[in-house]
Amino acid sequence: MLHKRLSQFLIIYFLGLGLLLAVKYCFGLSDYVIPGFTDMQNTAQAVAAGYLRAVLDTLGVAVIGHVLAIALATVVAIVGRPDNLLGTMIKTAAYNLQAYPIVAVAPIIFILLGDGLPSRLLIAAIICYFPLLLSFIGILGEPVAGIEHFYVVTGRMRWQLEVKIRAFENIHKLITVVTGSATLAMVGTIVAEFIGADSGIGYSLRIALYQSDIAKVLVALFLIGVFNSLYLVALELLGLAVRKRMGVEQRTQQ
Amino acid sequence: MLLQCLNISYRYPQGDALVFRDLNCRLADPGFHGLFGPSGVGKSTLARIMAGEISGFTGEIKRRDRAGILYSCNTERLPGWSSVGDHLTKVTPAANLPLLRELITAFDLGSCVDSRFSQLSLGQKNRANLTRYLLQDFDLLIMDESLANVDEATRKQIIVTIKQIFPDRYFLYISHSVAEVATFCARILVLRDIHKSPQLIEVAGRDHHGDAVPDRPALERAMLEIVHAA
Repeated sequence: MLHKRLSQFLIIYFLGLGLLLAVKYCFGLSDYVIPGFTDMQNTAQAVAAGYLRAVLDTLGVAVIGHVLAIALATVVAIVGRPDNLLGTMIKTAAYNLQAYPIVAVAPIIFILLGDGLPSRLLIAAIICYFPLLLSFIGILGEPVAGIEHFYVVTGRMRWQLEVKIRAFENIHKLITVVTGSATLAMVGTIVAEFIGADSGIGYSLRIALYQSDIAKVLVALFLIGVFNSLYLVALELLGLAVRKRMGVEQRTQQ
Repeated sequence: MLLQCLNISYRYPQGDALVFRDLNCRLADPGFHGLFGPSGVGKSTLARIMAGEISGFTGEIKRRDRAGILYSCNTERLPGWSSVGDHLTKVTPAANLPLLRELITAFDLGSCVDSRFSQLSLGQKNRANLTRYLLQDFDLLIMDESLANVDEATRKQIIVTIKQIFPDRYFLYISHSVAEVATFCARILVLRDIHKSPQLIEVAGRDHHGDAVPDRPALERAMLEIVHAA
C-alpha cells in the first residue's frame, strides 16, 4: 500500500521535474527562471531541514483539522439524518454551503482570528468538512431496509442502532470518503498558510514565490507529496483495521 | 377474529392504476393460512397493508385490540457485525431462550450459529431470519416467501414444527407453490387480478400437520380449486 502510493507520487513528481528541465533546455531558459539540476540539489540540501519541520507542522494541523471535520460531520449528519424539519434544514444548508468556494472566506478568518494556529486549523477543517458532511448525510440518511425492518417492526430501533447499521453497511464508502478528504485537509492548511499564516509549508511556499525560487517550490512539493502519501496510507491502514475488526472482510470474500 | 380487511382499495404512490378495488378478507381462526396468487398481483402489498406498514389505502382494517402483527420477507438480512447465534440470542426475549434452542435444532441451524449472516446459503439465511421473527411476541406472522431457497423436505419440517409449537397463533404464508399451500394451510386467500371480481377468493386447504399421509384425492381437489380460483 505504502509502496504503491509513494511510487505513484514519485513517478508523477519526477515526470513533472523532467518536463520542467526539458522545457528549460529546449528553450534555453536561464537558471533564474528554471534552475538546473545541480542548483536544485544545492537548494534541497540548504532548505530540506527547515522545510521538513514546516511540512510536519502543516501535516499536524491538517490531521487535527481533518479529525475535527470528521467529528463535526458525523454529529451533524446524525442530527440531520431523519426526514424531519431539522434534517431537511441541515441538508439544504449543507448542499447550499458546499456550493460556495469556502476558501474565499479565509481572509475573514485571518482578520478575526489572526495568523496563528486557530486560523489554519479552522480553514483546514472547513475545506474538508462539507464534502465529508454531504457524503455522511447521504450514507446515514439512507435506510437499509433489509436490515432495519426487523428492528422497526419489533420496536427495537434506536438512533444508535440505526447509525450503526448504516455505517456498517457503507463502511467501504465511509473509509473512501475519509481518505479522500485527507488531501483536502492538507490543501486547506497549505492554502491557509499561503494566504496569511506565519508558519507551515504554505508560508514557506509564499516566501519562495516572492523570491521566484522554483527550486525551493520543488523541494516543498516533494516533501508535501511524500508526507501526504504517508498520511493517506496511514488512513487506509486504519480503515483496513476497522473493517477487519467489524468482520467486513469476511463479507467481501463471499 | 384477529383481522378483517373491509373494502380495501389501493394504488401505489407513483402509480395511476389501482392494485386493489374493494377487497375483502379476514383471518378468523388461528392456524396456518396461505396467501396465493400470480406474481405482481399485490400479495406483498396486501400483506404489508395488513401489518400496518403501508398506509394511503381506502377502506378499513379491523384488528383485534393490541394484536401484534409482524411481516417478514425473504429479502431481509441480519446485521453482519456479529454471528448469527449472537444476533438471535440478543433479539430473543429471555422467556423465549429455550424456544430459540428448539428452533435452531428444528430448523437445522446448528451449524450456522457461529457464522456471519453473509456466510450462509440463501436457504440458511431465510431460516435464520424466520427464526428471529418466531421468537418475538406476535399474534399474526406474515411469512412472505420466508422459506424460499429452502429444500422441500426442510420446508415441510419447518412448517410442521411451526404448526406444532404455535397452535394458537395466526400465520399467513405467502408462497407460489400450489401444492405447499394446499397441503399445509387451513384457509388459502387466493388473490387475483384486479379485473376479476371478487378480487380475493377464500379456498379451504388440507391443513396437514405432518402426522399422517395426506389424503391424495382431497389434496388434488384443493389444488385444483386454488388454480381455478387464481
